[in-house]
Amino acid sequence: MKTFKKGGIHPPENKHASSDIITLPLPMKAVVMMSQHIGAPARPIVTKGQHVDRGTLIAESTGFVSAGVHAPISGTVTAVDKTSGINGYTGAAIVIQASLDDHNRDEAQRHEELERPVSRTLSENTTPEEIRKIISEAGIVGLGGATFPTAVKLCVKPEAHVDTLILNGCECEPYLTCDNALMTNHAEKILEGVELMVLASGVKKAIIALEDNKPEAYRALLKALDPKWPIEIVQVKTKYPQGGEKQLVEALTRRRIGSGALPASVGVIVNNVATAYAVYQAFYDKTPLIERIVTVDGNIEGVDEFRGNYRVAIGTSLKDLNFNLPEEGSYKVISGGPMMGRPVVNIDAPVTKGTSGILILEGVERAEPQPCIRCGACIEACPMGLEPYLLSDYGRLHIWHDAEALDVVDCIECGCCSYSCPSRRPLLDFIRNAKQKVMADIRARNAAPKA
Amino acid sequence: MSYLYPAIIILGGIGLLGAMALFIVGKRFRVDTDPRIEEIQELLPGANCGACGCKGCGDFAETCVKRGNLEGLNCPGATKEAMQQIATILGVVAQETIPMVAVLKCNGCVAARPQICEYDGAKSCAVINAVAAGTSGCSYGCLGCGDCTEACRFGALSIDSETQLPVIDEDKCTACGLCAKACPRNLLEMRYKGKRNMRVWVACSNRDRGAVARKVCNVACIGCTKCASACPFEAISIVDNLSYINFEKCKACRKCVAVCPTGAILTHGFPAPKPAAEPVKEAVTA
Repeated sequence: MKTFKKGGIHPPENKHASSDIITLPLPMKAVVMMSQHIGAPARPIVTKGQHVDRGTLIAESTGFVSAGVHAPISGTVTAVDKTSGINGYTGAAIVIQASLDDHNRDEAQRHEELERPVSRTLSENTTPEEIRKIISEAGIVGLGGATFPTAVKLCVKPEAHVDTLILNGCECEPYLTCDNALMTNHAEKILEGVELMVLASGVKKAIIALEDNKPEAYRALLKALDPKWPIEIVQVKTKYPQGGEKQLVEALTRRRIGSGALPASVGVIVNNVATAYAVYQAFYDKTPLIERIVTVDGNIEGVDEFRGNYRVAIGTSLKDLNFNLPEEGSYKVISGGPMMGRPVVNIDAPVTKGTSGILILEGVERAEPQPCIRCGACIEACPMGLEPYLLSDYGRLHIWHDAEALDVVDCIECGCCSYSCPSRRPLLDFIRNAKQKVMADIRARNAAPKA
Repeated sequence: MSYLYPAIIILGGIGLLGAMALFIVGKRFRVDTDPRIEEIQELLPGANCGACGCKGCGDFAETCVKRGNLEGLNCPGATKEAMQQIATILGVVAQETIPMVAVLKCNGCVAARPQICEYDGAKSCAVINAVAAGTSGCSYGCLGCGDCTEACRFGALSIDSETQLPVIDEDKCTACGLCAKACPRNLLEMRYKGKRNMRVWVACSNRDRGAVARKVCNVACIGCTKCASACPFEAISIVDNLSYINFEKCKACRKCVAVCPTGAILTHGFPAPKPAAEPVKEAVTA
């Protein structure tokens, strides 16, 4: 079974949610954030009072690494203003309020889209540019979490000699099952999407990788696979962080991505399987990225009543996701997985393109950190071969140049170090801090005119 | 015995040669250091805070001796007397500097700013700031983890256990600015201490619209501009829904304090107000 060599951990998988996708009704009010991707926020092109239809562009891309944003529901724009996001920081947003007519029409349209049979009408004359244009216009970004604009990723330079497209369906984070649900239920559409991405990027072959704890999805993909396609489906070992870009490339191709380099430097591009599904929808259904699958799970009492994978319109308030918070006691609400997810400070915040899951966990308070006993568990666990105990101290004591010398910028923030530390030290917290500081320093140095 | 004399001669010879070499090297490559550098260094606080713009206290001493004057050089950490002594050593007259002090541009104590969640990660403001807006809804306010108190080399800052805000000890504060650099939200500002230590400042940094700011904190500046129109010295400007009092223009008349609807403008050093006189009851006429 293929896997990466260095480090890694085996946290309890906790993948209890069923692979059925429950379609959540569209919200009457949608708050669409302008910054749902890496790069410059989108610029609103609608004004207050204007009526918009579901799927129309409401904010345009403002740079090379940026993506447009579309209306997830039909309705009237009631505000173009700032709103508080998941982490509590404010960002620009467009608020759309639907009337009952709008709502019913949208629901009918959405129902028809979901019932539509899988289309296999790719014309021979479709050019890579056309596909990339459609992907770009649909505002598709990487749905694995990093939200990098997909059209930019697929636009590879011929001198880079990119030959492999990897579709990441590992979903190595505990609890999360949204990609699994998508692969199990929509294997054909994902494969069609992969075909489109292969065409758009001009690579020779594609590999869909998933961890061996998803036999259902694996069987579904194998069943849907047309043998004449240049697509390979590979099971990789269940080990965190198998879904890390560099780890996955190493596991599948034995190519090592250098420090600070992108997968394209070794001839590979990596995309999430959910992105392939979004590409399919954009190309065949003409639906931009306005919905995504969100896992709702946790370990609180009564979680069985609401755990599952939901098809949710972007802009839906987290509160409208189908979950109940415990009435008393302390609990954590996390957006994303338990290893790399971010805390939810504002439960009224809307779902964005990057929201892969909402977890409600209790009994996961951090223990009081004890002194480092130099056991080296963090070094063993680090998949990037760094020395987390040192980097963390450099971050805590503000010794930035030493942190830079020990390659803090290579940290992928997977959290294996904090997880494995027997002294329960908050290693990643300080390493992330140091990484941000060092990256800012490097950017400032590069921007400064050379003397 | 026959081994003893050669040993003494050989070792003694090596010692003599070494001593001569050291003597010659010492004579040839001697660097004359100004004795004043050491004298000045002893007068400095030795905190190496960098507030003077030099790399540390040693660098400050070297720089001012090299220049021969104190122009553009001032150690905020040293006492007035020490600065005068340094000036005497250099043979110049010490410049009068306006004493400054750090103030906190946030007054969101626990009572004024309801906590909406708890934080149990690493105890560092920089870490919290990078992850989320903090445990209150305010994404501009003090995080209360004490990055500033750790940065202070004069022991002038401490976190009040009740308000969870840093308290500045004005006797110890030298306005070196290390705390301001450490604060990830730029909440500490160096301002004039003011006449008889009387000063007025806006203790808020929230740039959200008034309604939004007020929702998360009772003592937030809501950018209502009342203070700016009340100020007779044009010292107050409102930028991004936030009022700012220019300390160079402020005469500490406290007219802004009186009109502020949220109490976001704080004062320091003013004598306690006299108990208000009983209002004269007006005769009610039929």
